[in-house]
Amino acid sequence: MKKIWLFILPLIAFVAMTVFLLSGLFSDPRYQNEVQQDRALPPFKLADVMQPAKQYDESLFHGQVTLLNVWGVWCVTCAVELPFLTQLKEQGIPIVGLYYEQELDPDFGGKSLPQIQSEITQQLSKLGNPYQINLFDQDRSYSMDLGVTGAPETFIIDKQGIIRLHHIGDVNQRVWQNKIAPVYQQWVNQ
Amino acid sequence: MKKLMVLFFAWVTVFSVAATEEQFKFTDMQQQQLFRELTHELRCPKCQNQNIADSNALVAQDLKRKVYQLVSQGKNKTQVVDYMKQRYGEFVYYQPALTPATFILWALPAFIVVLGLIVLFRKRASQDIDPDKLAQAKKLLEDE
Repeated sequence: MKKIWLFILPLIAFVAMTVFLLSGLFSDPRYQNEVQQDRALPPFKLADVMQPAKQYDESLFHGQVTLLNVWGVWCVTCAVELPFLTQLKEQGIPIVGLYYEQELDPDFGGKSLPQIQSEITQQLSKLGNPYQINLFDQDRSYSMDLGVTGAPETFIIDKQGIIRLHHIGDVNQRVWQNKIAPVYQQWVNQ
Repeated sequence: MKKLMVLFFAWVTVFSVAATEEQFKFTDMQQQQLFRELTHELRCPKCQNQNIADSNALVAQDLKRKVYQLVSQGKNKTQVVDYMKQRYGEFVYYQPALTPATFILWALPAFIVVLGLIVLFRKRASQDIDPDKLAQAKKLLEDE
């Protein structure tokens, strides 16, 4: 009897360890930020990057389900997703951009605003413009409030201004169909 | 050659540490110490297993700057860690909080030590030799 246990116990331990390690092999080690979900958008006052005189706050998102897309012209993956986002916009999905500038160091400055504006115009005329407006997160502090780790990232904001999804990485056909569209539809139908 | 290499790497390490601290200077030594501690214990959310002190990712730089601001304002360690957790979740701090999900992380090592002690103890006990049998064996030897 004792001998059987001496055999079975290590076997169970071995199998458990194997299953644990094997599942680790196929898990995604990248960070998924879920703390932002189901939380109201942090309050903000941000200017339109193209027309800095125009200021916006959270009320921009009230009344319709909106995608908030964090991007910059320096970001290669963002350039890849621009045509797809433009398709979504043509289907009538409202998209607001949060412009995330890499080279503006709050301590040292960097590019001038006209320079940034001309880069944006150039990029959008080349690859498509999915954005209603682009909010300018000059020192990236609003991005930090949103838990943004880089660009591109996309949020779904519901009609009440509550974050319903935080997606890290690009939006393409597959991600849209499997992950984003179901959540989007759910909150549109609400 | 080996000595030279060691010297080189030591120099590089010292240099990089000095570089970070040059960017974020405190007048208060205690705050400087807290800043060093926090940037080593906060994890860069963009990187794979790097703290924000070691990382040059944009978000790590932004987090370092934020830690600097918060510490300069006189915030204590828990306040800064909570500020980051609120935005980036538990992931951002290298010391996982004790929750039902992380319980096993904390309990498993203790459990294994206890298990080891039990096994060791029982083995010892079983090694003790029955005095009757010992006497019998001695008798057999003497008879020969």
